[in-house]
Amino acid sequence: MQRALLCVFLILSLLGAASGGVTVTGQILDYEKGFLFLASGDGFKVAPNAIIVNGPPQTRRYARVTFNASGVVTKIEVSRSKLAAEGDLGAVRQFAVSLSTPAPNPDLAPSRSISRCSLTRAGKLVGLTITVQVPPGTGPTDTIYMTSDQSAWNAQAYRLDRIDALHYRTTLKLLSGTVLHVLFDRGSTQSIQVGENGIEQEPYLLCIGDEDAQAFRAIVDRWGDEQNGEPQQIPQALPTPYNPAPFPNLPTPPPAPRPSGLPD
Amino acid sequence: MLFLLLSVLLHVNGDNVQFFYDRFLLEADGNVRVTTSDGMTMTGDSFSMDLKLNRFVLAGHVHVQDRAGAQDGAALADFLDFNRIYFVPILRQAQDDKTAARDDGPSPDRWTFIDGDFAHPAKGREMPGDTFFFPDTGGAKPFIMTDSATVGSRSFVRFGGNHLDVANGLGAYVPTPSYYVNFSDDQHLGDNSLAGASFDATDQLAGNANSISAVHFRYDPTNKTYLSFEQHFSGKKAYAVFSVNPLTRQRKFWDLLTSDRPSEHFQIRTFTQLSTFQHGLSEPTDSGQYTTVQLTQALPRSFLQLNTQFTNYSLLTPVSDIQHRHPFQAQLTAQTFNNRIGKLPLYESVIYGFGYQHDSYGLQTIGGNTYTSIWQHNLGIQMYVPAVKIGNNPNDAKNLYLNATFQKNRTWNSAPHYIDTTQTSLSLSKTLDRHFLAFASYSVQNTGDYYGALQSIVYPSYVPVVDGVADPGYAAFNGVATFRTLSVDVNYSNNGNFAASLLARKHTDFPKPFPGLFPTPVLNILGQQQLANYLGEPPYDVTAEVRARINSRMSIDLARSYFFNYGGQRWSPAFVIQVTQ
Repeated sequence: MQRALLCVFLILSLLGAASGGVTVTGQILDYEKGFLFLASGDGFKVAPNAIIVNGPPQTRRYARVTFNASGVVTKIEVSRSKLAAEGDLGAVRQFAVSLSTPAPNPDLAPSRSISRCSLTRAGKLVGLTITVQVPPGTGPTDTIYMTSDQSAWNAQAYRLDRIDALHYRTTLKLLSGTVLHVLFDRGSTQSIQVGENGIEQEPYLLCIGDEDAQAFRAIVDRWGDEQNGEPQQIPQALPTPYNPAPFPNLPTPPPAPRPSGLPD
Repeated sequence: MLFLLLSVLLHVNGDNVQFFYDRFLLEADGNVRVTTSDGMTMTGDSFSMDLKLNRFVLAGHVHVQDRAGAQDGAALADFLDFNRIYFVPILRQAQDDKTAARDDGPSPDRWTFIDGDFAHPAKGREMPGDTFFFPDTGGAKPFIMTDSATVGSRSFVRFGGNHLDVANGLGAYVPTPSYYVNFSDDQHLGDNSLAGASFDATDQLAGNANSISAVHFRYDPTNKTYLSFEQHFSGKKAYAVFSVNPLTRQRKFWDLLTSDRPSEHFQIRTFTQLSTFQHGLSEPTDSGQYTTVQLTQALPRSFLQLNTQFTNYSLLTPVSDIQHRHPFQAQLTAQTFNNRIGKLPLYESVIYGFGYQHDSYGLQTIGGNTYTSIWQHNLGIQMYVPAVKIGNNPNDAKNLYLNATFQKNRTWNSAPHYIDTTQTSLSLSKTLDRHFLAFASYSVQNTGDYYGALQSIVYPSYVPVVDGVADPGYAAFNGVATFRTLSVDVNYSNNGNFAASLLARKHTDFPKPFPGLFPTPVLNILGQQQLANYLGEPPYDVTAEVRARINSRMSIDLARSYFFNYGGQRWSPAFVIQVTQ
């Protein structure tokens, strides 16, 4: 049965082609008042006796649309899933109905100051390698993360792997066209990097282009929880009394006289 | 508040409103109604908004109503950032008979509204190619399913009664009364004042462009499962975060973080913590508090920073003398920027600090003198060599990279001693292929606490005995320790979805570790060691870590260390497990 239908479909397609018709695929924007609108924004006149296959044309759905030689839609084959590109949507634009004469849009004129983001073809999955150089005072066992507006500024959203004494790295798969604001931290809000002048800094702005492999490098001048060049952690307990000795876990001293105030 | 006035509020209602967190897409279908804060009301069949691009499209039997009138059309797209609304109206020819198509009946057109001027559309203007495209979400499951949403452009989206996918993409939906998602570039709405946790699921109950109220469902090895509450406020130059954690345990920490940046060159940050032990919100049986204040002033090629800390060990009637103490400390530090030395791949930075400590209980007793106040100052230098390439092979994987750091600091105290700390590290790294990389590093830390003639009194030579076994080597320790660490690390990562690392370390320290002699330093709440070097560290350890991305928003991290039976210790006490979102 399916084969028979397919044969009929092919024959009809050939007949359409033979009669000068054009076929394109595209996403449906609207179907009303005798017009079929595709996602290009173009509205096409639909013949009153047009054949509609697979249910009514609805917004979001896809369609294979056949035009006759006059540019009127004679057949709409609706699909719930995206169809392979077929035909030239630009070529059928001549059939689009519009009251006004087309006019150029100055907003679309090429601009020298155009940003990388606006030149990117969005929606392609690409790899982004992020490498960050950390301050020399960063502890060898510290864990470094990237926080971003993609993760509601969760300080532990993306963990980086240590690659040497001063560098950490991660690779992410992102969609091209994604705009990211990012900062780096040591796993807490308090540790989010600050500027070289000790004042909090604006996030880096990343625009993901459409090259398959991309790289971003950043230098962290200092961490937000550094004091006097040393990391200071905000404890989840009252601070321990000041320890005048640089060794926090000396063994219990012998009973012989020994200055008090030193840690047990 | 100014930000609120500048941003547009959109209220979206529909039979089926969905939010795809990984792509920040808000999708609505069936009887969609959109109202905007600038007075437009629109209805249509389907709606799609890319929250990051800050633009939306409404299509299918569109009806638009505003102060200027009403109009039907096929689709409307609003590029909010550019003040452009692109509209495909369906007009009766009589409405525009000058340019009408020459056959009867309705006819579409293309209008562009510029800067909110609805009375004078630019007709026939070419539109951007993707103006009316609806995204293909494929088989992805929405994070939220609901029937209404409020969008604050460029800042937040808030959902009414909804079903939330608690498994982040796996489709395990639970009903929740409301949910809020912040996606602004204001990082301070994401600041948190909670301790770390192995697992944290956050329900952001309410919020707008400048605030978020959130309940956290958390787990950590110390407190087990519990709830916490957090409130965020953020403005252009200031922010505050308040939290209670764990809210459902007797030991509670009430934290308040604040920051103000009156100018680009000056910032004040404070942190206050109130600790209580109480059932629910009953009168606590103990309560303490401490506050830190940090002031930073940027200077040319350097900055000044003042850090102070005040502790109150008991806010209740003290039950012991020690609770009368109110220790205070302050430190003023000046630090230069990192300066490159000539054209060498060598950078340096100098730091000088001046500090004061006070505790009426006494900070230190030396030679019969008790010091309740100690003044100190310190001078330090940091030098480093970042990523010097060794080898000149065009295939970068065949080159090695050298990194080196050197830090030296001396602290002079008014109590008669000074402390020297010198840290040197050298590492060689190599990228083995697209997935594997490895590095080896060697670091040495020397720490000396020098009392001059009093050295042997402060650090007496003695032979400690632990469980009947003597450690004669410790007798040579006189306050000067050396920590040497050789590390080898191999790392695998696969595009951020899976990462594994194996770190092996050998510690050659003085004084030598001796099982049971040195108390184990306090671990953090996740069971992780906080100190890079400490006395008594096991001589060998291997740490394996695996991190896997479960879905677009959630990762799980597993780590455990092996100590080669040092002091009977084989494995670290527990796996460190952390789920991050």
